[in-house]
Amino acid sequence: MRLGFLFILFVFCNIAKGQHQVEGTITILPHNEPAIGAAVIVKATGDGVITDINGHYTITVPDDHSVLVVHYIGYEEQEIEVGADTMIDVMLKEDISLLNEVVVTGYGAEKRSNISGAVSTVHADEIKEQPYLRVEQALQGRTPGVNIAQNSGSPGSASTVRIRGTGTINNSNPLYIVDGIPVEGLDYLNPNDIETINILKDASSAAIYGARGANGVILITTIGGRRNQKGSVSYDGYYGTQRAARLLDLLDAREYAIIQNEAYVAAGKTPPPEFANPDALGKGTDWQEAIFTDAPITNHQLSISGGKEHSNYTLTGNYFNQDGIVGGDKANFERITARLNGSNDVNKWLTIGNAIGYTWFSRNALIENTQYDSPIIRALNIDPTTPIRKADGTYAYSLYTDTDIANPVNGIEQTYNNWTSNRLVGNVYGDIKFSKLFSFRTTFSLDQTFSLQRIFYPEFDLSNIPEISEAPPAEKRTVNSVAVGNYNWRNLQWENVLTYQNTFQEKHYLSLIAGTTALTNRFDASGGGNTNLPSNDWEDAYIGNTIDPIASQSAWQTANESSLLSWFGRGIYAYDNRYSFTATFRADGSSRFGKNNRYGYFPSFSAGWTISNEDFWHIDAISAAKLRASWGKNGNDRIGDYSFTTVVSSGQNYTFGPGEIITNGSVALSAANPDLKWETISQTDIGLDLELYDGKIELITDYYIKQTSDMLYASPIPLVAGTAAPVQNVATAENRGWEFALNYRNRDHALQYSFGGNISFINSEVTGLGRGGEPVYSGYVQSASAYAAKTDIGHPLASFFGYVTDGIFQTQEEVESAPFQSSGTAPGDIRFKDLNGDGEIDVNDQTYIGDPTPDFSYGFTGELGWKGFEVNIFFQGTSGNEIYNNTIRYDFNYGNRPSSVLDRWTGTGTSNSEPRVNLSDANQNARISDRFVEDGSYLRLKTLQIGYNLPEAWLNKMHMDKFKVYVTGQNLLTFTKYEGYDPEIGNISNNSLELGIDRGFYPQARTIVGGISLTF
Amino acid sequence: MKKIIYILLVPVFVVITSCEKDFLDKAPIVGITEGNFYRTQEDAIAAVNAAYASMQFQISPAGHFRWFWGDIMSDDSEKGGSGDNDVNELLQLETFKGPANTDLLEAEWGSDYEGIYRANVVLEKVPAIEMDEKLKARILGEAKFIRAWNYYQLVTMFGGVPLADHVLAPSEYNMPRATADQVWDLIESDLTSASLVLWKRSEYPAADLGRITKGAAQSLLVKAYLWREKWAEAKTAAEEVINSGEYQLVADYADIFPLYGENNEESIFEIQYMNASGGNWGKNNANEGSFTNVFTRARGQFAGYGFNIPTQDFVNEFFKEGFEDPRLKSTVFRLGDEMGDRGTFTIDATGGVPFIYYAKKYFDNKSETAPFGDPNPNGGTNDRVIRYADVLLMHAEAAYHLGDEESARTSINQVRTRVQIPLVTATGNDLLEAIYHERRVELGLEAHRFFDLVRTHKAAEVLGPLGYMEGIHNLFPIPQSQIQATNGAIMQNDGYK
Repeated sequence: MRLGFLFILFVFCNIAKGQHQVEGTITILPHNEPAIGAAVIVKATGDGVITDINGHYTITVPDDHSVLVVHYIGYEEQEIEVGADTMIDVMLKEDISLLNEVVVTGYGAEKRSNISGAVSTVHADEIKEQPYLRVEQALQGRTPGVNIAQNSGSPGSASTVRIRGTGTINNSNPLYIVDGIPVEGLDYLNPNDIETINILKDASSAAIYGARGANGVILITTIGGRRNQKGSVSYDGYYGTQRAARLLDLLDAREYAIIQNEAYVAAGKTPPPEFANPDALGKGTDWQEAIFTDAPITNHQLSISGGKEHSNYTLTGNYFNQDGIVGGDKANFERITARLNGSNDVNKWLTIGNAIGYTWFSRNALIENTQYDSPIIRALNIDPTTPIRKADGTYAYSLYTDTDIANPVNGIEQTYNNWTSNRLVGNVYGDIKFSKLFSFRTTFSLDQTFSLQRIFYPEFDLSNIPEISEAPPAEKRTVNSVAVGNYNWRNLQWENVLTYQNTFQEKHYLSLIAGTTALTNRFDASGGGNTNLPSNDWEDAYIGNTIDPIASQSAWQTANESSLLSWFGRGIYAYDNRYSFTATFRADGSSRFGKNNRYGYFPSFSAGWTISNEDFWHIDAISAAKLRASWGKNGNDRIGDYSFTTVVSSGQNYTFGPGEIITNGSVALSAANPDLKWETISQTDIGLDLELYDGKIELITDYYIKQTSDMLYASPIPLVAGTAAPVQNVATAENRGWEFALNYRNRDHALQYSFGGNISFINSEVTGLGRGGEPVYSGYVQSASAYAAKTDIGHPLASFFGYVTDGIFQTQEEVESAPFQSSGTAPGDIRFKDLNGDGEIDVNDQTYIGDPTPDFSYGFTGELGWKGFEVNIFFQGTSGNEIYNNTIRYDFNYGNRPSSVLDRWTGTGTSNSEPRVNLSDANQNARISDRFVEDGSYLRLKTLQIGYNLPEAWLNKMHMDKFKVYVTGQNLLTFTKYEGYDPEIGNISNNSLELGIDRGFYPQARTIVGGISLTF
Repeated sequence: MKKIIYILLVPVFVVITSCEKDFLDKAPIVGITEGNFYRTQEDAIAAVNAAYASMQFQISPAGHFRWFWGDIMSDDSEKGGSGDNDVNELLQLETFKGPANTDLLEAEWGSDYEGIYRANVVLEKVPAIEMDEKLKARILGEAKFIRAWNYYQLVTMFGGVPLADHVLAPSEYNMPRATADQVWDLIESDLTSASLVLWKRSEYPAADLGRITKGAAQSLLVKAYLWREKWAEAKTAAEEVINSGEYQLVADYADIFPLYGENNEESIFEIQYMNASGGNWGKNNANEGSFTNVFTRARGQFAGYGFNIPTQDFVNEFFKEGFEDPRLKSTVFRLGDEMGDRGTFTIDATGGVPFIYYAKKYFDNKSETAPFGDPNPNGGTNDRVIRYADVLLMHAEAAYHLGDEESARTSINQVRTRVQIPLVTATGNDLLEAIYHERRVELGLEAHRFFDLVRTHKAAEVLGPLGYMEGIHNLFPIPQSQIQATNGAIMQNDGYK
């Protein structure tokens, strides 16, 4: 007892010698908000405390010479000499140093200064509060080297995403990893749930994903809350409308009759009597007005997130609904998502965490992007003399077009095609810290989708006399039917990663990882259908309600699976913040390849030199400069699951016997390729990261060469083979490009502004086409009964290939003196160039007439803030891409035409560009030629947002952290020469060779929404 | 504690490495690999059935019916449909202005070669199977017939074509065209060897009704010989069929074509179809129905598309002998006729379309339509490819060219006796003309006429006014896409370049 008292006296005496308490408040600039959870550490001893919810700290320092270090992530570290002070307040400045930015690298995170690959980062605040359904739409134009084109403007449709060009004629989509899980199809992911997106562009950063990284990797991290973060509740909601940005110029009824009369006479036929008086026909029907409509879009998001010292959590819920500008609710997309992310420190060495999201969505789909029977093609080609409805109110049918070109308004109404999906994507992980240096993480991930598709074909009859039902087959359906399909996908993944990170002797930084991945996919589908339902209502459209006997029911089922097993390792060594080296290696084994080629090996190396940290660096303006270079190999394994083997399919049936019994036949329908190999992409990258004026200006530039070899493709084979084409390692290609990104930021004044721009140049070329070097044709155009695109050595993928026009024949003499085209060629027809000079126009006079890939693409963002007002502007564009306009079905002689046909040739000298009209096209004016190739370059004002944040005083009274109202406009202006609806035309169904062909592309809408964003 | 964790890590890696072999071995769930097939008798039968299935292809992906080429191209019928732009390519071919790139010809080319491939698979894989030798020989014979049948269609339409007599490896895809003679030689050798091992119609069990018979192989061989003007061989082969006792003429001509007349005693080679539901516009119809019915029925209340319209010239042929040939009423619908149970034929009833004749042989009643309800119902009418009457007339033609006019008259008169019209007594060229006339009225609208005209060198005389030019239009243009696909290894036919 006495000893204890003496001890305490002793301690008190020591305190009196300089040891004292210091307290104060840590705040962050520019608004002096409290820094919660900042670390205040006594430098000498390493002891420290954490600031509380008010930014307040109290710490005991041993003596007057102590130095306190204040450390808070995202802000510049500060050191303060205590002296004799007992009250020290510190204001922290945001750390905007480029090199200190934390970058997610795949299986870990590193400071940008330590990595030497090409990684771009997009943060949540760049993409929030925008009316985007899908993540890809949000990414468009934000980073150099990433080119995104919508595949369709209809709600829910995917985009074509290309990182550094199209690497392969196979599936060129990048690998998407969301919270460590590889996912396909981002329509389930709510963009508001995203925290950061990291795009791994070069071989070295993508190498850690080995066989799947060839097309680049997009790493998406969903929001998880932060430790020691005050809990907050936010709501964000918007509502608005969408409208078609432009409608095309077509003939009206009067003009149509004039043209038709001329066409009949030119073909030697008598025009129909109903066109004898064109003026009496007036305007007729405006079919475009009939199918386009204003469509609403709305979104509501609720997020709750926060964290304590040992845990953090985020809970979000979202509702999204969008109608389509063609079809209204027949093209509707509705989605509900819920997410729960979090992590917990169980004890000092074990942390567990999860990121789990559940999505329900329902999508109604119209037929789109096909030249056959989509509502848009129908509206563009059906004649304007047909009314939408008959006198009795039922829909009318055209007497001049049928089969494909039926009444589009009726077509939309008779479409009932719904896809409903329930999807669970999530992971749980356990993180074990062996020591400060060593940790081990094991992660289980699941991506499970259950979806149901229900399609209903109602009865209808547009006949004028229902009793005899004289309408053509496309305009009636005598028996209704229903078809359903269940489609289930399941991905299971188990990953184990061992990490070692250490800094030796202050100068040497070493980061090592080693890990394994085991991944298995399974797809199951089944379905059936039957005919004849007594009720003609969509609500009653279930197979159970059909009354046709069981013999007419159909049922089908299929399943396939694949798996992946991998080992990988990566080492990063950095010396003195000046030099860094990275080496990566991955071995991937996939079930999709035969035994001979089961494993692929993918190495990569990179190095970086931070010149600005060298002693000899004296350029003050440039606060950071880093040079980096990388080389590596990645693979692409996106082909069918069983292409390595020949599968004998049954069901090739015939009927035998007096009872007409269906008897089974079996044969292999496609040839196999037992030598199937990985596609390999080797990429070399050189880059420079610069920071000027202490972070005000940031510049990142890269030059790269990407070479693809052993490209897999089932190139169409001659029909002589009798089977569908096998997949072969057929081709090589090369993409070269230069990327440039510039950002400027000024937060020091009341008027805050930042600008950013990026531009990417790319040159792509097919360099080899395998054994025989046969070119690959794609892009079938019905009007010309031929293919519009050709992929061949020395040219970009899917270049347009056809005839070259050379004006119009004005006189008969010109026809006769020109090379032979056809026996029916007459004045007014198009003259084609005889490129090989043999006096005849035939297939040898075709050449490359266009390139659907842009020469360069760019984006530009601007942000202004002043006293609570915020303006956000974003431009995006491409240049040098061409489009093949395949919207007019010239094979329908009595269909409608664009108004440009009014400038047709009618006599010598009347036109040198628009041919004469004639019911029969003996000269094949509709053949594949540069007549239909247009410049698709565009500059688009993608987003303009004006918002106002309520001032802090008001917020404090309402106990809120944020109250913002805003108006956002999307796709407000498009500058382009293209004459179709929308110059941004992506791929169809993941086929890299179906690019840039407008088949009645569902245009993107011009959208205006208004919304509010609140945080409590 | 850390040691425990290290120890726990070991099993993780052990588990991963040991599962590896099974984990990455994924065999197809649906479908058998080729290596595990072609082992049993059932496999052999399934393999040849798949080859049969290829004969049913009518829409792959575009329609390419036999009557497109055999009837519409000739003076017997015209295209029809809803107007000029309905299958416009057919109009261009019919008026002999066809471009090279029509989907129809490509579909014909493609489905013929798919049939050839499937037959080649049988010929390659079945010999190794251990099974009943007689059955195996028959199956190989069936495959040879199917191969010969497809080459027959190709050579009569396109002339010499790439000769795939085995399953092609990718290096062989760019095969150039063989000569017509080389193709005919393969056809003849296939049919000759097939007819040695195929079973007679009477030898087949009832459940196998529809399979290729010895008589079918011999009859197709007669046709092949006639094309090559090998009269002696043709006469001999025809007599083998005639003397086999397997076939005879049906008593009433009107009983041949309706649904109940399928596979009758006169039928030698029929492609089987059945009533089925689902209007699949695809070639791998799981429902085995035929689209010929709906295509050739009249429009309007008869719920057809109105193709293959008989011409006045064709109808006039039935009156050439001064009386109405009784076969006319089974071949053509005329105004006022009852179209089965679908109603009376009037211009209004057909939706105002101006045609006054419609083809009757492939008409099916409403009651015979599958009761499953479908916008484009398939019909069940079998395609009568070779009938006994055809063999008799071919025999007559061959005999004539050998100078044996007596035998010729005997054969042709058998056909005439069936329909109870006066016998033919003509001689010399008149006899030949009588045979040609008999073919036209007996086999009218059964897809024979165009090929008969080309084969007998009468096309220029008869079809010249319609635009036919000898040396060009006796063959169809090779589909342009196939010339492209083989990078020019295949050369286009003269006149279409």
